[in-house]
Amino acid sequence: MNIGFELNGKPTILEIEQRETLAEVLRGRCRLTGVKVSCEAQVCGSCTVLVDDLPVSACTFLAYEVRGKRVTTIEGLADESGRLHPLQQAFLDNFAFQCGFCTPGMILAAKSLLDENSNVTDAEIVAHMNGNLCRCTGYLPILKAIRQAATELRGQK
Amino acid sequence: MTTLSRFEIHQPASVLEASQMLAQYGDDAGIYAGGTELLLAMKHAALNYRHLIDLKVILGLNSINVRNGSLEIGATSAHRSIERSAIVRQNQPALAEMESQVANVRVRVTGTLGGNLCFAEPHSDPATLLLVLGGTVRAESATGAREIPVAELIAGAYANNFLPGEVLTKITVPCAKPSHRAGYMKFQVHERPTLGLGLWMETPDDGRTFTSARVAVGCVCPFPTRGVEAEKVLTGSRGEVEKRLPEAADLIADAADLVDDHEGSVEYKRHLIHIFLRRVFRKALREPVS
Amino acid sequence: MKERSEFAVVNHSVPRGDGIAKVTGSAVYTSDMAVEHMAWAKVLRSPFARARILSIDISQAKSQPGLIDVLTGGDLKGLSPYYGHGVRDHPLIAIGQVRFVGEPVAAVIAEDELTAQEALGKIVVEYEELDAILDVDTALAQGTPRIHETDFADGAFRGFDDFPGAAGNICQAVHVAWGDVDAAFAVAAHIAEGEFYFPMVYAYAMEPYVAIADYDAKGQLTVYSSAQHPFMVRHDLAQVFGLPLNSVRVIVPYVGGGYGSKSYTKIEPLVAACSWKAGRPVKLQLSVEEAFLTTRGDDARVRIRTAADAKGQLVARQATIHLNTGAYAENSPMVCRKAANRIVGPYRIPNVKIDCFAVYTNTVPASSYRGLGGAQVTFPGESQIDELAEKSGCDSVEFRLKNLAQSRESIHPGMRPIDADLPGDVREAARMLRMDRPLAPGRGRAVCCSASDAGAHPVTLAMVQIYADGSVSVLSGSTEIGQGSHTVLAQIAAEEMGVPLEKVRLVGSDTAVTLFERSTGASRTTTLMGRAVLEACREAIAQCKVMAAEVLGVPAEALVEERGGIRSGETRLTWSEILEKYFQMEGCSIIGRAYLRKAGDLKLVPVFWEIGVVGVEIALDEETGRITLESLVTIGDVGLAINPAMTEGQDLGAATMGLGAGLFEELIYDGQQLMNGTMLEYRVPRFSDLANNVEMKLVQNRDGVGPYGAKGGGEGAVNPISPCIANALHQATGVRMRTLPLTPERVWKALQEKKARAST
Repeated sequence: MNIGFELNGKPTILEIEQRETLAEVLRGRCRLTGVKVSCEAQVCGSCTVLVDDLPVSACTFLAYEVRGKRVTTIEGLADESGRLHPLQQAFLDNFAFQCGFCTPGMILAAKSLLDENSNVTDAEIVAHMNGNLCRCTGYLPILKAIRQAATELRGQK
Repeated sequence: MTTLSRFEIHQPASVLEASQMLAQYGDDAGIYAGGTELLLAMKHAALNYRHLIDLKVILGLNSINVRNGSLEIGATSAHRSIERSAIVRQNQPALAEMESQVANVRVRVTGTLGGNLCFAEPHSDPATLLLVLGGTVRAESATGAREIPVAELIAGAYANNFLPGEVLTKITVPCAKPSHRAGYMKFQVHERPTLGLGLWMETPDDGRTFTSARVAVGCVCPFPTRGVEAEKVLTGSRGEVEKRLPEAADLIADAADLVDDHEGSVEYKRHLIHIFLRRVFRKALREPVS
Repeated sequence: MKERSEFAVVNHSVPRGDGIAKVTGSAVYTSDMAVEHMAWAKVLRSPFARARILSIDISQAKSQPGLIDVLTGGDLKGLSPYYGHGVRDHPLIAIGQVRFVGEPVAAVIAEDELTAQEALGKIVVEYEELDAILDVDTALAQGTPRIHETDFADGAFRGFDDFPGAAGNICQAVHVAWGDVDAAFAVAAHIAEGEFYFPMVYAYAMEPYVAIADYDAKGQLTVYSSAQHPFMVRHDLAQVFGLPLNSVRVIVPYVGGGYGSKSYTKIEPLVAACSWKAGRPVKLQLSVEEAFLTTRGDDARVRIRTAADAKGQLVARQATIHLNTGAYAENSPMVCRKAANRIVGPYRIPNVKIDCFAVYTNTVPASSYRGLGGAQVTFPGESQIDELAEKSGCDSVEFRLKNLAQSRESIHPGMRPIDADLPGDVREAARMLRMDRPLAPGRGRAVCCSASDAGAHPVTLAMVQIYADGSVSVLSGSTEIGQGSHTVLAQIAAEEMGVPLEKVRLVGSDTAVTLFERSTGASRTTTLMGRAVLEACREAIAQCKVMAAEVLGVPAEALVEERGGIRSGETRLTWSEILEKYFQMEGCSIIGRAYLRKAGDLKLVPVFWEIGVVGVEIALDEETGRITLESLVTIGDVGLAINPAMTEGQDLGAATMGLGAGLFEELIYDGQQLMNGTMLEYRVPRFSDLANNVEMKLVQNRDGVGPYGAKGGGEGAVNPISPCIANALHQATGVRMRTLPLTPERVWKALQEKKARAST
């Protein structure tokens, strides 16, 4: 079937199979390999992408579902000039990743939180991010990065 | 990556059409209402539907309203929209709070309450709370519609008492009243909870006495289970009720078919019921739990 | 030696070199790669733990449209199908029999993943099931059949020269002894004795095993893999296919986590054989559930006793360690060796006797897991130090301080003396944890430590290329697995060559391009590859000096080295200017090289002692048995932190991984079947497990053999976490736990038993 959607700000029409997950379509057909697949059970969050600004597990979410919707992947976060999103910059500044496999999902999950409310407490960050696993960092650098980005985003408003 | 086998998605224009499709494709068809459980099961070939009937495309089936003193939640309402709904928060805060604790944010964005109830995963949260809130579901088919109390809906682990062709369209939950106290707590070690415990009580005098109670337990047993005998001892003055909490906990544990599994032994689960009955009692009364 | 304040690039927390790529999604991992004309493989796995394969019928599968080929154990004629760097016991696909549930029995190769997946279901395998040998005791019992029917010849790779090979169901036995333990225990004032169990764990590298292999018509084999040790993979592939080393090229792009689980050879021979059979490049991407069935950590049963004299001095330690190694040796012989060494702990103990056995069972093969045997044995070792401190009536920190080896003191006869300040580290951890504060109910505090013989076998070769425009490439066979090696190595090159960090590029890992590096593990990269890069830079500078002398017509000794170039009198030349003047042409480059081997100051093993020092304060919910971390402190005694922020990141990451095995992580078998081999059931630490207070400190005494006195990190903190929690729990409750993980139910039951004992 054909689906039309907005992918990282660009109108997109794709021929897909109904059985295809969003992760398959984005990684395979769109070559957006920043969408990482790990647990395939909606536990780890590495495949997190935003659909209409809300996080979903692309590994078990049908591409069929994005008809007429906005899809944001990690590749769509920096602006046209390549300037990093405050979250990306904060992850860099705080060494909030090592192997980097969880990072796209982490950043997008955090974005969905801060887009809604940049005035977040640590408890709110932890509650929202608790479904995203990182095996390298021990989480504290990620928490610090999200705090930093939240401060910056509050300043922008 | 594990790939899904081929299937065809159908987009019914109405519940009636969805029901007809179910009848038409029989065992080859499944209702697709969010897919968080369904697609996982299909990835593991635990389910092999060739046809998915997409309930989400039916207009209005995700609405949330209050009517006749009850919340009416459309079957395809996502957990997240229930959690965030001002109507739900106002009229049944215990439900909104429970929804905010379901799995993780991605599951809540995608998964629906109707799908959750239909899938009847033994470790899910909502049915346990709905049992004590007096929830009912509406099942519709070509031959008519009926209201089914959640207690009667549950047939076992992954099993429901729907008739062939029936589609769950709506969940109805009585609104909280000032004399009601309700709460849900869970104990979780792994990805899915070890224990879920829901408590509802009626108190005409702001928590000094309790005239009726409903309590249910989930996750420790194959399906969410009411502690009907326990409810009988959870009435009376606060002091009496508190004194009888251990007795009630044992009655709940007796009612539930506790299972030894990866989440814990029967002995430990029984113990957890004791601990969390006391905690949820305090929580329902909006007091510190420990 | 430069003072720390004189460093321009090293010892600074510069941003990661791979940072932009990783936050923008452009970092390419093997799982993201495709090569032209590539086919996909999927694996059919054994449902039995031990069985003979009677027949495999692939006729139905072969008729599946889109199917290219099927590989089974009967197709391997012409290959040497058994691999293994220590013991060559591992067939690349089951040959005639299976030895664990999940072992590959057939691989289908198809045009796409779905076709391959569907074809799997059409393969019919007939098995004759045999009695499975599922635990160590059964494996060792008289009359138990052998899991491997042959004794394996010494297939050892250099650096594993103390592997005798396998016999019976004992895959490896290691004995460490000095002094006379029996005599010491006979007169000891205090003895602690017990049996401990460290669970089977899964590293959960988030990128599951994946490889692309292209065995081309000219007999050249190119493999992309998510592997930690590309040169060891090359060695195994060359042996399997009978190819010269220059015909096997292993390329490792970014790796989505390793933690030891991607050490040595995993699926590469199977994927290469698929390509060899199908005549096409083939990609095999395992799922996480398949990764659970590929490698795990050795679980360990440890019987141990430790003795102290009346003054609280340790006098003896004796231990028998049984590692459940699973169906194939993999790296368990090395785990066995390291567990035997590491259980001694960082203490001076005059009488020691350790017997360690790696035992085959019909379970998922065990191999390296972060800390390499350290976590398994530090739990019993450090638990018992607290027990002895209590028996001696001594504070546990004071007891440790009394017995810890001082800097330059030897703890293992014949090995490198301790190159760290253990007493200082422990004292600092106790101070940071503020051990003197009163404890709230349900709280407990403890500090634990470990010393690991780290670095593995020191053979590390490196090149740096200095270009005529002043840019620099570092050609390194160390794999960037997230630990930050590419950043650290670039910092060292920038420091030595005196060029801005942005001018340094890392090239690797690619066995056709970079020189040999034995492995990326055992916390060796900063120490060994860092030093090799430093020495390669020095060699390039020496060449530049000779060139400059010729260009300037002065003796080389008259040249003074300056940052980024040389000076002769008032004349200054940068490296770039020297090369241009020397070659009289633009665009040239020279190579500086370094070959490190087990010689000189690297002759003594270990290359360095990796120190782990952590402290925790736990909070216990006595009603449920749930333990949470209130405070966590770590000490990184690393000599010099090339990149302090990343070094601290290693400590916190390692401590968090240790927390997993301490509190939640355990693979559970029910009979032959692994019961919790999915991330829905296998619980790793999450955001909410983060301690409320975290404090990390780096100790930089520049006492290592690495560049500028650096030593490795990244595995130290994983070891002492679980005993630290157990000791803190003991302080809070009086309950001594000897089985991990400390799940709520396990703790609750122990509390119940204690209550029951108290009431009788």
